Parts: sequence; structure tokens; C-alpha cells
Amino acid sequence: MAKKPIGTPMRRTDALTKASGAEKYLSDMHFDGMLYARMVRSGIPRGTITDISLPPLPDGYRFITYKDIPAGGNNELVMIKKDYRCFAEKDVRYVGETIGLLVGPDRSVLVDLLEQISVSYEEQVPAVTIDEGLACKGGAFVGENNLFCDFTIHKGDIDAVLADAHRIFEDEIITGWQEHVHLETNAALVMPDGDKFVVYASAQCPFYVRKSIAGLLNRPYEDIVVRQTTTGGAFGGKEHFPDVLAGPLLVAANVIKKPIQLVFDRHEDGAYSVKRHPSRTRFKTALDEQGNILGMDIDVVYNAGGYESCSYVVLQRGVFHATGVYNIPASRVRGRAVATNTFPSDAFRGFGAPQTLFAVETHLCHIAAALGVDPLALKSKYFLRQGDPTVTNGHVFEKVVIPEMLDQVLQASGYKQKVAEYKRGSGKGIGISFYNHGGAFTGNGEQMIIKAKARLHKRADGFVEILVGSTEMGQGLQTAFTKIVADTLGIDEDKVLYPNPDTANVADSGPTVASRSTMIVGKILEGAALKMKERWNESEDFFTEDEYKHPEGHPWDQVTFQGDAYIAYGWGVCAVEVEVDPLTFEVVTKGIWSSHDIGVPIDELVVHGQINGGIIQSLGYAAMEKLDFHPKKGFKQVGLSDYIIPTSMDFPSQGASLVHNPYPYGPSGAKGMGELVFNGASAAFIDAVSRAVDKDIRAIPIPPETLTELMA
Amino acid sequence: MVETCYIPKDLAEALRIRKETGAHPIAGGTDLMVSHRRGTGVVPKFPWPVMIITQLKELQKIEEEDGEVSIYAGSTCHEIEVAELVPYQVRKAASLMGAQSLRNLATIGGNICNASPKGDLPVPLIMLDARVELVSATGKRQMLLDEFIDGPKRTKLQDDELLARIIIPQPKAPFTYLWYRKIGTRRANAISKLSMSAAATVDTHGIIVDFRSANGASGPKVARSRAVEETIIGLSVDRLAERLPAFLDAYDVILSPQAMPQYRRSSTRRMLEFFLSEVSKRPDTTIIE
Amino acid sequence: MTRDIQFVLNGKDVAITCDPLKRLLDVLRDDFGLFGTKEACGEGECGACSVLKDSKIITTCMVPMGSVQGCEIMTIEGLRETARGKCIIEAFADGGAVQCGFCIPGMVIAAESLLASNPEPSEEDIRLGISGNLCRCTGYDLIVESIRLAAKRGNGLW
Ligand SMILES: Cc1cc2nc3c(=O)[nH]c(=O)nc-3n(C[C@H](O)[C@H](O)[C@H](O)COP(=O)(O)OP(=O)(O)OC[C@H]3O[C@@H](n4cnc5c(N)ncnc54)[C@H](O)[C@@H]3O)c2cc1C
Ligand code: FES
Ligand code: FES
Repeated sequence: MAKKPIGTPMRRTDALTKASGAEKYLSDMHFDGMLYARMVRSGIPRGTITDISLPPLPDGYRFITYKDIPAGGNNELVMIKKDYRCFAEKDVRYVGETIGLLVGPDRSVLVDLLEQISVSYEEQVPAVTIDEGLACKGGAFVGENNLFCDFTIHKGDIDAVLADAHRIFEDEIITGWQEHVHLETNAALVMPDGDKFVVYASAQCPFYVRKSIAGLLNRPYEDIVVRQTTTGGAFGGKEHFPDVLAGPLLVAANVIKKPIQLVFDRHEDGAYSVKRHPSRTRFKTALDEQGNILGMDIDVVYNAGGYESCSYVVLQRGVFHATGVYNIPASRVRGRAVATNTFPSDAFRGFGAPQTLFAVETHLCHIAAALGVDPLALKSKYFLRQGDPTVTNGHVFEKVVIPEMLDQVLQASGYKQKVAEYKRGSGKGIGISFYNHGGAFTGNGEQMIIKAKARLHKRADGFVEILVGSTEMGQGLQTAFTKIVADTLGIDEDKVLYPNPDTANVADSGPTVASRSTMIVGKILEGAALKMKERWNESEDFFTEDEYKHPEGHPWDQVTFQGDAYIAYGWGVCAVEVEVDPLTFEVVTKGIWSSHDIGVPIDELVVHGQINGGIIQSLGYAAMEKLDFHPKKGFKQVGLSDYIIPTSMDFPSQGASLVHNPYPYGPSGAKGMGELVFNGASAAFIDAVSRAVDKDIRAIPIPPETLTELMA
Repeated sequence: MVETCYIPKDLAEALRIRKETGAHPIAGGTDLMVSHRRGTGVVPKFPWPVMIITQLKELQKIEEEDGEVSIYAGSTCHEIEVAELVPYQVRKAASLMGAQSLRNLATIGGNICNASPKGDLPVPLIMLDARVELVSATGKRQMLLDEFIDGPKRTKLQDDELLARIIIPQPKAPFTYLWYRKIGTRRANAISKLSMSAAATVDTHGIIVDFRSANGASGPKVARSRAVEETIIGLSVDRLAERLPAFLDAYDVILSPQAMPQYRRSSTRRMLEFFLSEVSKRPDTTIIE
Repeated sequence: MTRDIQFVLNGKDVAITCDPLKRLLDVLRDDFGLFGTKEACGEGECGACSVLKDSKIITTCMVPMGSVQGCEIMTIEGLRETARGKCIIEAFADGGAVQCGFCIPGMVIAAESLLASNPEPSEEDIRLGISGNLCRCTGYDLIVESIRLAAKRGNGLW
């Protein structure tokens, strides 16, 4: 019998336990003598703590602060940057900054106590918006200018191009905060275990947690054992943020010597967890007399909030995606991450790319509208092709299959016919967007920083265990890895086991981020499986390991940001059709069609689910997920009745297709895809709405009230 | 020890408890249990004694007598949605509240007594001139729902009373045209940003013999003005178009200039204009969509 | 003040002495160890805490125990033992409906509640039927397809 292609759907390894309610998540865990914790947080955006007044604490209750960090320990959470403090000491930078942890056996007593704790402050003037941050309102609180980072990349001589331009088209695009809304809120549990500590966490990156918090107790990493618990969604929200729970818990467990659980309720999660970076992108685009684009001068600013965390890296990705899927002859992109007195912004599916991709797509639509041409006609003149230079003066190595994907989307959506039929301003519109996503870590991050490894265990009972730090968080990784290993070994998938990682006995395969897991770790696993295959008949149980090998010939300079920022990209095309209700300006989405190049799918059904979910999250971002900020109180829409995410009724079922384009360095030809599928639908939606109402739209989200203002 | 939560067996016991302790009723609990929640594993806490009335059979029926429809206070949104006796707009409003799981819990009594400006059921009920019946251990009284709801979160309910039922009178002549529209924060499972219920009766000569319209989520309480409605009653549909601008301006004044005034006002204006222009065409269908 | 409350849980008579205002959700999870019922919002918005009460879907985070006296409660742990529950769960697994899984037990309850009143639902019926259950992972399409699959396979079960 012919071997079935790897993409043929298999039943997900975790489907039955999850669907039957048998799967255990962190809040389902309980240990003898376990205590609960509640966070005490800053109630003001900026100022100095003058006093913390506590009610008398009953026996068995403790209030833990930075003072409980033992000698030799540092009050810091080591993320990509070390600036994030575990506990505020004197000054506070944003509403929700951790001040202390209240710990005790009874949750209702904790709530009573929490209500009686009062913190007094000397308040200072906060800077909340991008403009206020840049203007150092209230005085700079990071460096001299509130900038966590500021860098510029050049391609060609943009100044000369601007000087010679027939016309310079200026534009400004704004995107707002977005909340992850993983259905499982943030949760962690720390328990002393002999001389060590075991940390259970709903987390993407168990090794990150370990690295981040070990220094609080001045311990070697090995003393902190992190076990990922089945994670009910993450989307980047559980990349660094679990550290913010695990850190204080570790300090508390060190003092109290008991297991302590901390589970955020939804309002806490909404008000006091990281978000997607709000952005402002300005363009000066040089056009010649015929309307050809000669160059783009782009200024990108991300609102990073109170701490840097991973904002520098997020911003890099944003800057490297700022000219989208286009070969723009000359460009300059400046990126700045500005500090403000808001909750730190952090990783969120797309990691900085969605903001600039939305900006450039929307900007091109504005140019097209001004020139009176169809946006598709304008955009298609500049599609990147194999061998073309990138915005960082690297090259596109793979065959770019945008034309094939575009064909599929045009066919499925009836785009051309609808464009002809729906006049601008008719209340009906169809929009289209193009996007990509650089696979894995930027530049040489994979070989210089991550250095991923993967391990397999052939057990005496014939089962093969996957021992890597990569995590399942809903994206289907357990299934994908199981298939890759089974396929390489030529064994049944049910002979492969992939338990949730435990840092004490898995190889550090790097964080589960950057759409790198299938493409990078999957490939290393394939290597480990090949080694295992050679020794398959050994009777004893044994382990095999392999490590990341960087493809040759991809120069990258991490100082000047020149060279191949990414070796391979995922690519996407998405069309969205809308109708605007003439009475209420509610936008009804009539159709969604997409095509993606993700190399080769490891499982078609898993991929289908990722596409559907990513696109809906992207449409929510553009259409309804409004997150306002009160300068003194913080986020306004914190519960699910106020922060509005799509239901099953908000968007119709999607047409989705793929163009196979095998990637030579990926397992079975696979590339990354988890973030790609978020990157473009928002722009297609806004294009459609903007055609339907014949107005340029410069900011998202755009609920009906905002649309009304635009129409007034 | 003082009871904090009572579970009366029948209405009489509930009224006695109410009189003696002033305990606040919990019907579906979808407002109260949420607004007084204290987190996972912690029992909600109320500043006053409460009594659970979910189980009171006397409050769970929908019936018709002398042409008037009575919806008892403990009827759930689901029960109202499927009750053929209940006028269209009330059923429609009930069917668009929350999701199925909410509609199985949420009651009409709770929706009215909660008196949220965003509450959906009072809008068509007030348009229909519905009355409430309030009962206590010592008697009962009726008043217009529009009067009962005093303002945001305020009603004329007295400390010893419970809302027993809502009574919907029959209009003089059956409405010929009906309109209901809810603009939510999204397309399902959403709280209203604005809702509007309207009805018109056009006689065989094309004369508008009745017209009513009420708006929700557009001020401290449901917006309705009989005086403004009367400016187009008695008019022939042929003359509607010329009177429309003046009518719409007058209607605009009854909406409260609160948050998002522009959106609520302009949408209301467009909806009313649409409904009335449909009415003036005298289509065969009763429900205008 | 506590009360003795009797009800039927997954087909068995049970009794508990507790505060009548304690949420049914907390009783199911903490007192009966039925962790398949999840809490994701605590305010009736998300449906993760759904169960069937007298065969109707409700969200248990809003329900005080005092209103459960004498009722029949069916959680995912009970439903998964029934032919209907098995059919839905298998269809979810085959149809790719499950991603992170946190919303899924509630979705399965919603599917049962829908199919019980409408054994041959259209796509629109299904979308409406699960509109009280938020899912952030799937975009809903494969859940809708899986419920359709369950309806087809269920042939006579509902
Ligand atoms: C997820 C969710 C979605 C919602 N969606 C909507 C929506 O779309 N539209 C909408 O209008 N509302 C909505 N609501 C609000 C709420 O569900 C409704 O207001 C509901 O009708 C309240 O009824 P209840 O029986 O649950 O009220 P309860 O919480 O039991 O009571 C509410 C108030 O009414 C009082 N009360 C109840 N019954 C009586 C009585 N017989 N006599 C005197 N006082 C009484 C109570 O003491 C309390 O003050 C939603 C709520 C949630 C949680
Ligand atoms: S937890 Fe009950 S509905 Fe969300
Ligand atoms: S599968 Fe993750 S929320 Fe639905």
C-alpha cells in the first residue's frame, strides 16, 4: 500500500481527553496543604509608594513583598531584557504592577483581606499614549527620552528618492491594544520539593520561566523544575507573562514552604496582563508621475508600556515586515519602542508583524484610492519574487507563490466580478490583502541564541517518547511532532508519546514562539528520529538527540540589521467581503477566503483550524476588539462582557486553501504558520469596509460608532 | 443568627419573608450573582439578606385573560421567546438576549427590576403600554411599567413588594406594522448599544390611527413620548414624507444626550425614517425588517 | 448559614450541605471534583461552565446552589457516558474541533442542548446554538462542522 502523505489528517492526540472534560489544567490541580494567592497591585499609573497598610493577618496568612527576596537574590524577572521587576519597591510604573502577594488557605478570607489592604502613593503625572510617551509627559522615566529602543534600517538612498519624487503621499495608520483572551486565564503553582522547587505553569516556554525566576533566590536553573500544564490557549500571552506569576510565587514558596496556587480571574487577566503593542506607523511614499512607487520612508512607533520585556524584538519584527510582501526600490524604516505608564505590551501572535503589515496594506489602499486604481492592480506591481532584495538587503530564497495563491483566492471569492459590481460607497465591498511572516527567530537568533536541541527516548516497552521543551497550547504541536517522529521511524502514531514538558528531563528545544516549532524543532526531531531508526533493533532502552543546524550562506549582522532577517517566510492572501448596514452601520461579513503557503502541511486539519482561528482573531482585532485606556485607572474593557471577541455568529465559514511549496530545511517540507494566519485578514476587512463606505480608514478597531463618526 | 439567604417554598412565604426582612429576591441570578461575585471558590456576598425565588411556581406562567396577556415575573426569556401569546416585539427582544444558556436562566422580573438602561425587555413593553402588578403580604397594586422604572437601576418597588406579573393590554386595533431592532456589541450574545421597538396601525383609508416607538440604551430609561407620537397620528400615509423631518427632530429631543449621542441619535433617526417610509408604502407584510 | 441541598447529579441522587449562595460551578469542581466544567469568565459570557439543568443548558457560574434543590444536573462527566455524549465527543475529535480544549466541554454541552431540540440543524442553527460559548482558538468553523457530523452520525439518537 502506498504511504499516505503526511498531511492526511489524523485524530489529534489530545482531542478525546479534552473533549470529554478529562484533561487537567492548572486550576484543576490540587495538592495537600495547598495555599492560594492573590496579587496586590499598584492602583495608580505612576508614583511612589508611601505606605502599605495591612489589616491584621490571621494565622496562616502572609503578605509577601520584595523584602522576602533572600540575600543574594535579585528583584528582577529575566526576560529578554532584565528590567521587569518581580515586585515594585518604591516607585510604580503602571496600574497593575505587582506590589505583593497575599497567601493563605481560604480564598474567601483572602478576598476579605485584599479589600482591607490599602496602599498610599505620592502620585506623578503619567504618560499613557504614544504621543505622551514620546513627549516625556511627566518627565522621562526610561533613559532620557522614554525610548526602550530606536533604530533605523536603510535600503537604497531614500533621501534622494524623496527629493526627486513627483509626489509624496503621506499617511498615518494607528492600531490599538489587543487582549489575547486565551480562554484559560493565567495560572501557576509553585511547590517546594526537597531542596528544589517545582513550578507548574500554564505556559508556552518552561525554560523561559526557569531562567527568569531562578535569580530571585540566587539559585542555579536546575533547582527550579518547571512543568508545563496543559495550556488553554496562549497566543503569546503566556510567553513571558507566566514569569510574572511564577516569580512572586517562588519567593512566597521559599518563605512559606508550601504549595501555592495563583489563578487569575478573568477581570484580573483583562486588566493586569500583557497586551499587543498599540502602534503608530507614518509613511512618506514617493511616487513618480505615472503613480509608480519609488520609495517609502516609514516611521514605526510601538507603545511598549512600563517595561521593555521583549519589545525590542517585537519591534524588530515589525520593522522587518514594514514593506510587506513588496519589493519597494528604496526604503528607510525607523522603529521606536516608547515607554509609557501602561501595562507592559508583549508577545501576541504575529509578534509585531501584524501592526506594520496592516499599516502598509492599508496605506497602499489609500494610495490606490487616491490614484483611482484598484488596490490589487497597484499591489501586484510590487510583489516580491525569488531572489529579490528584502528590506534588510537580504534576499528572498524561496519561490514566491503569491500568483498561485492569488489565483485561488480570486477564483473562490469572485473578487473581480464583485469589484466591478460593488461601486465604492455602495455599502458593499470586497477587500484583499497580502502578507508574510518570517519563520523562526530573526536573523541568527536560532544558531547564536537558541541553539535548540531535541531528544527522543526509545523505551523498553517499544514506545517512543518525545522529550522537548516545546509546548502544546492548542495549536496542535503534539499531533504534528507525533506525526513527524512516527513518519520518520515508520511506526504507528500511537506508539509515540509526547507528555507535557518538564525541564528536569527534556531537551531545551527553545521557546514555543515565532512559529518556529514545527519548522525548526520538528526538523531536529526528524534528525533525532533518523538516528533512532538506525539503532531501532537495540533491545535496551536508549535516547537519541539532535541539534539545530543553520543552513549555510545566510549572512546577518545583528548590529546593523543587514542581511537575511529570515531564511523562509510563510505567505498569505486573504479576501474579505462585507456589507455595511445602511441604518446602523453595523458591518456584516459576507465571505472570507484565504490561501497560504506554509511549505507542506503536517496535518491538514490542524492547519485548517489554525487558519480559521487566526483569521477570526485578526478580524476581531480590526472589527470589534476595542480596548480603551483610562489614564488613571488603566484598561477599561476588562471582562468578557466589555472586551468583545467574536462569537460563532459574527463571521461566516471560511474558504481556505493552500499552495504547497516545500521548504528544503523543514520537516517534510513544512514552514511555520501559526502567526502568519493572523497577519493579514484585518487589512482585507478594512479594505472592504473602506470601499463599501468610500472612506479611508486609518485606525482600528472600527466599531459602528467610529464608522458613524467617519461618515459624518 | 440572622439568615442571609432564604429559600421560600411558595409565594405567600416569600411575601412574608419580604415583609419581615426586606430580603432581595434572586430570580435567575444573572444580574445579582454576577454583580456580587467575589471570584472562584468564594461565595458571592450581598449587603442585604436575599431570598431565592427561582423555584416559585406561582411566578412561572404566561396567560391571557380578557385580551390582556400576563407574563409572570419568573418567566424566563426562553419561555417568553417561545410563547405564542406574547406580542412579537417582546418575543423578539427576549430571543435576542444573551445566548440560550442565559435565556434559560434570566427572567423578565429580573430584567425589569434590575432597571438597567440597557435592559431589552422594557423597551417593547413600554411601547405596548404594559403595566406591572406588585404584590405584598397585604395587597397588590398596578401601575404603568414606564412609571415603575424610575431611572437607571431605580424602580418604585417597595421593601415589602415583589413584582408578580407584567400585563400587556391589547391595542385598540391590531398593529399593522411592527419593527424591532437591537444593535448589540456584536451579532450574538451581546448587550444592547441601542434598541428600538416601533409599531403603527394604518386603517383601510391609509390613515395612521396609531403609532408608537420606544428606544432602549439611549438614556437613563426607555425613551418614549406619546406627545411626539401624536404628531403623526391621524395623518394619511401620503403626507408622512413631508411631516417626517419635523417628527424626527422632535423625536431626537427625547433621546438623552449621553455617551455616544451621535451614533444613537443618527441610527435612531435612520431606523425611524426607514420604518415610516416602509409604512407609507403600505406593504402586505406586518413585520418590517 | 448552610443548607442541605439534594439534587440529581449525572443520574445519581446526591446531597450537599453548603451555603445556598455558593455557585453551582464551585460545588461541581471543588465538592464533587468534576473538573470538566471550566471557569473562564465567571460572569455568564463564555459558556465554559455550561451544564444541563433539567435538560436545558445553563452557565453554572451564575447559579446559586439554593436554586438547584431537586433539579437534575448533567455535566460533561455524565454526558460523556451516554450514547449522545460519545457521539458528539467522537465527532469533535474526528472533525478537528478541539484545539486548546478549554472551551470544548462547554461546547459539547451546547451541542447536546442544540441537538436535543433540533436533531437536524442547519449551519445557521448550529452557529446560533453555540453562540453563548466563546472559543478563541478555532474560529468555530470546525466546531460547526463537527456538530453537523454528530447530527449525521447520530441518526435517531436525538
Ligand atoms: C451573559 C449575560 C448576557 C446578558 N444579556 C442581556 C441582554 O442581551 N439583554 C438584557 O436586557 N439583559 C442581559 N443581561 C442581563 C440579565 O441577564 C437580565 O437583566 C435578566 O433578565 C435578569 O434576570 P434575572 O432573573 O437573572 O435577575 P436577577 O439577577 O435574579 O435579579 C435582578 C434584579 O431584579 C430583582 N428581582 C428579580 N425578580 C424580582 C421580582 N419578582 N420582584 C422584585 N424584584 C425582582 C432582583 O432583586 C435584582 O435586583 C445579560 C446578563 C448576562 C450575565
Ligand atoms: S465561566 Fe460561566 S459563563 Fe464563563
Ligand atoms: S479550543 Fe481553545 S478556546 Fe476553544
